[in-house]
Amino acid sequence: MFALGPLSFGAPLALAGLVTLPLLWLLLRATPPAPKRAIFPPLRLLLGAPDDAETPQHAPWWLILFRLLIAALVIIALARPVWTPPSVEEETRPALIVMDSGWASAAAWNDMRQEAERLIDEAERDGRAVTLVTTAPTGQAIPALRPGNADSARRQLETADPQPWPADRGATAERLNEARSNDILSAPMAVTWLSDGVDSRDAADLSRALDALGDLTVIEPDAGRAPLGLAAPEPAADGLTVSVLRAGSDFPRTVAVTALGSDGRAIARTDLQFAAGEGMASADIGLPLDLRNRIASLRLDGSSSAASVRLLGDQWQRPRVGLITLESDEGQPLLSDLHYVRSALGPHAQLIDGDLDALLAEDVSVLIMTDSARSDDQRIVDFVNEGGVLIRFAGPRLAAQGDDLLPVILREGGRLFGGSLNWDEPQRIAGFPDTSPFAGLPADNSATIDRQVLAQPGSATPDRVWARLVDGTPLVTAERRARGWIILFHVTASPDWSDLPLSGLFPRMLQRLMGLSQGGSASVPGNGAWVLDQALDAGGQLVSAPVSARPVPAAAFDTAIVSPVAPPGLYRLGSAASALNVIGADTRMEPLPRDLPGARFAGLDGPRAQHFDAWLLAAALVMLALDVLIALGLAGRLPARFGTATTAALLALGLLPLAIAPPVQAQDTTSERVALSDEMMQAALTLRFGYVTTGDTAIDARSEAGLAGLSQEIFRRSAMEPEPPLAVNVNTDELIFFPMLYWPVTRDAGPLSPEASRRVAAYLAAGGLIIFDTQDADISMLRAGAPHPGLVNVLDSIDVPALSQIPADHVLTRAFYLLQEFPGRYTGSPVWVEANPDGASRDGTSGVIIGSHDWATAWARGDGGGAAAPIDGGERQREMAIRFGVNIAMYALTGNYKADQVHVPDILERLGQ
Amino acid sequence: MSQGANRQDEARVVALRHEGEDAAASLPSLLAEADRIAATVAQGVHGRRRSGIGETFWQYRHHRPEDGRQAIDWRQSARSDQLFVRQNEWEAANTIWLWRDGSASMRYASSRNHSAKIDRAAVCQIAVAALLTQGGERVSVLGESAIARTGALGLERASRRLALGPGDAASVEAPNISRYGRVVLASDFLDPIETWASRLSRFAAMEAHGVLLRVVDPAEEDFPYAGRTRFEHPGGGESLLFGRAEEARSAYRQRWAEHGERLADLARQYGWSLVTHRTDRPATSAVLALFRALARDV
Repeated sequence: MFALGPLSFGAPLALAGLVTLPLLWLLLRATPPAPKRAIFPPLRLLLGAPDDAETPQHAPWWLILFRLLIAALVIIALARPVWTPPSVEEETRPALIVMDSGWASAAAWNDMRQEAERLIDEAERDGRAVTLVTTAPTGQAIPALRPGNADSARRQLETADPQPWPADRGATAERLNEARSNDILSAPMAVTWLSDGVDSRDAADLSRALDALGDLTVIEPDAGRAPLGLAAPEPAADGLTVSVLRAGSDFPRTVAVTALGSDGRAIARTDLQFAAGEGMASADIGLPLDLRNRIASLRLDGSSSAASVRLLGDQWQRPRVGLITLESDEGQPLLSDLHYVRSALGPHAQLIDGDLDALLAEDVSVLIMTDSARSDDQRIVDFVNEGGVLIRFAGPRLAAQGDDLLPVILREGGRLFGGSLNWDEPQRIAGFPDTSPFAGLPADNSATIDRQVLAQPGSATPDRVWARLVDGTPLVTAERRARGWIILFHVTASPDWSDLPLSGLFPRMLQRLMGLSQGGSASVPGNGAWVLDQALDAGGQLVSAPVSARPVPAAAFDTAIVSPVAPPGLYRLGSAASALNVIGADTRMEPLPRDLPGARFAGLDGPRAQHFDAWLLAAALVMLALDVLIALGLAGRLPARFGTATTAALLALGLLPLAIAPPVQAQDTTSERVALSDEMMQAALTLRFGYVTTGDTAIDARSEAGLAGLSQEIFRRSAMEPEPPLAVNVNTDELIFFPMLYWPVTRDAGPLSPEASRRVAAYLAAGGLIIFDTQDADISMLRAGAPHPGLVNVLDSIDVPALSQIPADHVLTRAFYLLQEFPGRYTGSPVWVEANPDGASRDGTSGVIIGSHDWATAWARGDGGGAAAPIDGGERQREMAIRFGVNIAMYALTGNYKADQVHVPDILERLGQ
Repeated sequence: MSQGANRQDEARVVALRHEGEDAAASLPSLLAEADRIAATVAQGVHGRRRSGIGETFWQYRHHRPEDGRQAIDWRQSARSDQLFVRQNEWEAANTIWLWRDGSASMRYASSRNHSAKIDRAAVCQIAVAALLTQGGERVSVLGESAIARTGALGLERASRRLALGPGDAASVEAPNISRYGRVVLASDFLDPIETWASRLSRFAAMEAHGVLLRVVDPAEEDFPYAGRTRFEHPGGGESLLFGRAEEARSAYRQRWAEHGERLADLARQYGWSLVTHRTDRPATSAVLALFRALARDV
């Protein structure tokens, strides 16, 4: 390598190209710029005009310099310059690089690999031997440890990858000790341990083994790349609680967890906040049960390691609910208690009918026991103690005699409200306490309770009562027994005692209770072996099982630790599926202790060689683009209005890599928004007409002048006092403030955007009036019989109902003036209104007036108060046009008022009879 | 595709017509003058309320033996037992013929700030047509239709043809007009003077004369070019390369002035009025000058 101090070149021969620059200078000077092009009609008159005949004109010197600079940049970039900061001290000892390659390294692997490359490069520069050791088992035979040259170390580094299981530092320490005793490695060496930053039991062993070989430098990933691990989620009544562990705990940090279904769709997402100094963060995800049951895995967003994925197996699937049925229940289904439970739970759980033996054999996680099926069998006690959920309903038998499987002690006899010899009112359900799983469900006022069983005073402590009646007596009580739950509804599951089973509250309560259960497979099959179905790789992706995987005996599955023979992933045994995850129940993540024997700590941010040929080439490309623009500009081919702005922008862009870009600040848009709403406030506070802008300034100015003229005339002639009109953009502005909109439709008007058509439809539905004016006296109809293309586009997006020409008795003909024609600048073409405007809120008034008479021009007043434009029919037609305008305004404000008055004589006549 | 083009054409017609009408209407004095002139003109033109040689229907009368068999209007005669003859109104030279040059050089505008020569010419012509139809005159676009019309429909048709018509030079080479017609020719008159001399002589043969509206782009008059420039003809084809365009400026301006003088001489010689209009000036000035020239002409 050819070096100039810290700057060296990978291909120094390319620098010879710099010699050609003077040649290039001569060549560029000799080439004149392209001529400007000018279209010139009187070309004939120019023929033979005197000219200084083609004196070659030089390109400007700064342009030549600019192009030479581009050439120089390209040549230098091709020489592959490298900037290497000088090393602090000269190193002569052979290098030993130990890399943690367990799951915890995955996040920081790129940094670690770069650091290892740098160390290998350094060793190569000084001609030292390099030994590279990775700590995690790969599932294959471990290659022998021997020092090699830089190339072999690089090859080894290329094949090294993080593994989805933990690093085995103890085994590595043994290998190193063995190599030292066999004299394969001998002190002193320059030892670097690229660690993943997570402590393990055998970290000290490794540190000791390394320290024996030479000065040990331990490099940890920076805090942002510290490994994270997803712990097992906990079920909750209204969803689940997720927890994340981390090793580096100095800084606050926010991570996000996404719950995914089996089809890969995201079901829920939550943010978790690590406080400074905390190694664990938890958050609740609120989810309905049926959604929660679809979760197949949890994923840490933005992190790719085996520990950032948590597979859930099938214990989170639909809970298996056993209904203890008796032969006698079969007869009348609608009177059966179980019918109501079945209807409520059917969509959310897998229901299994049968007697107790059959149900326990099916590994149900919830048992429903009605009054008629009551039993205090020892097997039920065991079921509850092992984590099952028992839901009981009261009934006459329970009222007569209690038993052991109850959360509270019951009084005998129960309680009856609202009977014929009884003055109590039937009771209603009170709101649910915050500690109950039902918290947040709306208390249903319509459900009344006629009968219930009562708890002995004192036995129903507040934490056991999940629902109460308005008078405070418990309705649902529950007790935790060992790992399971016993829950008692103090009413029957049928409507005999209460309306509760008929209300919508009942299924929602039962669903909340399902959340307490942990799915189907409460008991693990005791024999057989779990076989890996899909494995997690180090990046957290599901892949096919690696060859190193072996079946895990069912008895050992719960205590299995991930390793090459038992990789993390989804295991199957028969139809059951279970997941083995990197983070086990007892996994702890602690940062590496600072007092490792003989260790010196450093971060992953050592000096690094910087390649900047790519940057140089990019700068040359940008400058080349700039050069094209300059050449175009010199030849006069840049469009004038486009030219200066673009040149400036591109000039700035071209200079960007050369200069330090100033920080760009996001523009503050709030002030603009406030101003806009102020304007609309004005429109809302006073009576104004609006006109829809077309983008054509001439037409918009005419609309404004027309509406202003009409507003003045209305002010003068009637009690209506409109303010000057406002421009309205249907795409952005709120329309509802305007009683009437004037909408000139040009021939090239396109369809409205969905947002705009929704706005206009809402405006019309709320009783607005829009005047569509094509302003062309129906030339197109007259000429080709084709409808106005712009109007077709606009009306298509609005969905206008059936239209008819204004009938002779329409309100528009007598809203203020009596009119039979509706002229504007033109007259004689038909004017259309809705045929049957009996819409919901419009009370029989038409929402649209469609014509082509160019009314705005007729209404407009010039500067001197005179006509702004000539009118076909002169002053009389202008007056008629204004009268029609006044009628429209009255129509917009008063609706069908005049139409009602017409019927007054008829009504009086009838009253007289 | 063609529908889009049609739509653009329609929009152009409407825009040019509005512009033309506005140009005509924003001159109150011109309006008054138009009324006055129209009143005087109507005496001479429409006073011939009698049958004669013309194109417009005048009356049916009974067939007389001397009329011959060819004169019978069979359609009318078939409705009764009698024979009728169709007579047209006698038309004197009472139609204004308009022509707007559509050659490639007319489609030129040196800057976005003013319109192309062809559009400006059309606007001026439409304005004149609007004023004339207001006065009851009949207008026709030379080479596009033989029938002259008046009223709003006449104006509508004329505007359309002025805005979109081809404006072939052939229509002035062999003018299809009635004798003693009055003509308004709008062009940039960049063709050689000899060409125009022969064209005007054909009008003279028809005893027709009128006004020449010469539309000039400011760049053509000022020649604001400098530096290495390649000049191209708008129709394509020829081009001229100048190393230093500013050196040709004085010579070009001299030739331009010469061309203008020869054109004025030519107009004078054949009894036409010449109105010169730069496209960076408002159209109303040209309309006023045009209408005055027409009025003088009547």
